[in-house]
Amino acid sequence: MAINAQIALTVFMGVLLIAVIAWLTRIEDWRSYSASAGGVVSQGERSEYIEQEKPAGIVRWLTTVDHKDIGILYGAYGLFAFAVGGLMVAAMRIELATPNTTFIEPAVYNSLLTSHGITMLFLFGTPIIAAFANYLVPLIIGADDMAFPRINAIAFWLLPPSAIMIWAGFFAQPLGLGFGPAQTAWTMYTPLSAGVGNDPAGGAGIDLMLLGLHLSGVAATMGAINFIATIFTQRDENVSWANLDIFSWTILTQSGLILFAFPLLGSALLMLLADRKFGTTFFLTDGGNMLWQHLFWFFGHPEVYILVLPMMGIVSYVLPRFAGRQLFGFKFVVYSTLAIGVLSFGVWAHHMFATGMDPRLRASFMAVSLAIAIPSAVKTFNWITTLWNGRLRLTTPMLFCIGFVSNFIIGGVTGVFLASIPVDLVLHDTYYVVGHFHYIVMGAIAFAGFAGIYYWFPLVTRRMYQATLGKAHFALSFIGTNITFFAMILLGYGGMPRRYATYLPQFFTLNAIATVGAMILLVGQIIFVWNLVTSWLGGKRIESGDPWNLKEDGVHTVEWQWLDRRIETALTDGGDEEPIADGGEVRTDGGTESDDD
Amino acid sequence: MDESPGLSDQYRKASPWPVFVALGLPLSEIGLVFDLFPIAVGGLLLFCGSIVGLLLESEYATTMWKPLIVMSGLLGVFGGLLIVADGTTDVTLLTRAYATFAAAIVMALGVVAGKLFVPKRGIPT
Ligand code: HEM
Ligand SMILES: [Cu+2]
Repeated sequence: MAINAQIALTVFMGVLLIAVIAWLTRIEDWRSYSASAGGVVSQGERSEYIEQEKPAGIVRWLTTVDHKDIGILYGAYGLFAFAVGGLMVAAMRIELATPNTTFIEPAVYNSLLTSHGITMLFLFGTPIIAAFANYLVPLIIGADDMAFPRINAIAFWLLPPSAIMIWAGFFAQPLGLGFGPAQTAWTMYTPLSAGVGNDPAGGAGIDLMLLGLHLSGVAATMGAINFIATIFTQRDENVSWANLDIFSWTILTQSGLILFAFPLLGSALLMLLADRKFGTTFFLTDGGNMLWQHLFWFFGHPEVYILVLPMMGIVSYVLPRFAGRQLFGFKFVVYSTLAIGVLSFGVWAHHMFATGMDPRLRASFMAVSLAIAIPSAVKTFNWITTLWNGRLRLTTPMLFCIGFVSNFIIGGVTGVFLASIPVDLVLHDTYYVVGHFHYIVMGAIAFAGFAGIYYWFPLVTRRMYQATLGKAHFALSFIGTNITFFAMILLGYGGMPRRYATYLPQFFTLNAIATVGAMILLVGQIIFVWNLVTSWLGGKRIESGDPWNLKEDGVHTVEWQWLDRRIETALTDGGDEEPIADGGEVRTDGGTESDDD
Repeated sequence: MDESPGLSDQYRKASPWPVFVALGLPLSEIGLVFDLFPIAVGGLLLFCGSIVGLLLESEYATTMWKPLIVMSGLLGVFGGLLIVADGTTDVTLLTRAYATFAAAIVMALGVVAGKLFVPKRGIPT
């Protein structure tokens, strides 16, 4: 490398380190100041002191180790990534409105395709779940915070660099750094991704993407360890395994899946990186391509359940609240969560039916894949039964929950067909597959995310969102999702292959319809963002910790009781009330206010 | 879970180190993978330094010397492995090994200097 560049880098690193040290000294100053400002204080004052221990402004967000703050950071990050991934796919759908190349070049299309998938799965999906889990799990199980608050913060802060590395190719090209974004698709199949030939799929863009993915995997694993430790060791005395809530159960299961799946992905990524940079040949010899696919899908299939299980948890938690009753068959929902968790490691080769692997092996994977539909169906029936004869209140979160169930049924049933080998051999690598998994990832996972965001919006912001906008968001999302992805299912029956920027003229009509659907979705999401931002800044303030009138039905759960107390503490202005006894309020009673004064 | 003050609420809710751990790790990775000597050294120092900061802050360590020596040793071993591996691939790993050694040596020197010049009580955090 040129000497000049070396000097520039050295100067850059030196300046960076000195800036870090200078900044740290200032922070440490502030800390010794605030620590010595402590002294002997009364209860009420001490609570203010603790609030004050968080520095103000941007520094607070950079240094926080509070699970609620980190939850908010995760949420903001996830929604930002959702917007980025959504705009990427908007460009792709515009290109696909017509059969020929009109709007973006095929190479750009491929880059966007790759980044869209990776962004949505790793930078939106996993973090948005971590947002809910961070904010809620400690509250619900009665923990003071996560078991390892600082590791929690590290896990979050690894994500921004990982996003920059994953998207690096898009910046590098205009900056003239000599490499572009990866064009490998999210599955990164070798030999394309291994950089044979002159590395047409992205060069250093791929290396950076692999590193970024690896980093996000490290972050997810750290988070998972933290959740497992928290749920096992930090529960309040009166939260037992028997009355642990459904959301924490799904987070626990998900964390277990992460613990087994992500380190494996990390190793496979490093092996691929070594093939690309250090002259190894893990995936370049005979059987190397199969090896990559096996390793990738051994992670990849559990990954889809890593995303869907907690979202199912949110639906199982929120949906009964607006049906005026408890979740039907709670135990069986937990059992099927655990069953899915175990089974999800035994189905990965259903992504590889068309690779020519041994037919006997293939059959066993088909059997397990069909079996995994059973616990999924158990859950679906439980949700439906919960709704049956319930006193339904069609609030925005409830609408999204019902939308989740509806879309999940279509996504799940199309999945069962794919799990059958003869059907898959016809439909593999067609738009049918794209339709299938988008019914799940958009129609179900994103919908449950919306449900959770609307449901807990008052908890986090103490304000209410605008209900009309929320319902518009739901209507546009539901209609848009079903138009877009049902058209894709039909395109798949017609035989249109996936992952191309152009297509044969006979597929025009359905593609145009899919693009219209995508635009409807886009409008809906713009409304969503607008609603969130304006409501956060100026929405109607809530007066009590029961914005959903849950007390009427006796389902005022513990996070809302916490909000109740918080609001009252604020009202009495940090007076000298007793710390509230925690006894007997784990699940449903609402009778704690009178204890306060 | 209560916002109302109980003893357990008294731990510190802010720490400056996680951001820098999370910045140091990718910098060292990029530096080592793309063979950018200064980035690798700086990234490793930032990464290891922030971990030491964390250990002190959370009182897993009382002084910074022991953790620094351990990390310096680990980096030394890693650099050694790179040199061994260098013989077996077409790609040269030597500069990467030197970058690792450089970070290890800086930390070791820091410990020596600290032992010599910092009074016994250690550095309060
Ligand atoms: C009811 C259970 C399910 C079954 C039996 C099932 C079955 C399948 C099968 C066989 C494929 C491979 C199709 C092919 O490439 O030829 C597939 C693809 C896929 N499924 Fe499912 N699925 C199920 C549920 C889910 C869920 C819950 C998710 C997401 C959370 C999901 C996400 C995906 C994704 C992302 C792909 C495409 C991967 C790719 O090639 O890029 N599936 N599914
Ligand atoms: Cu699968």
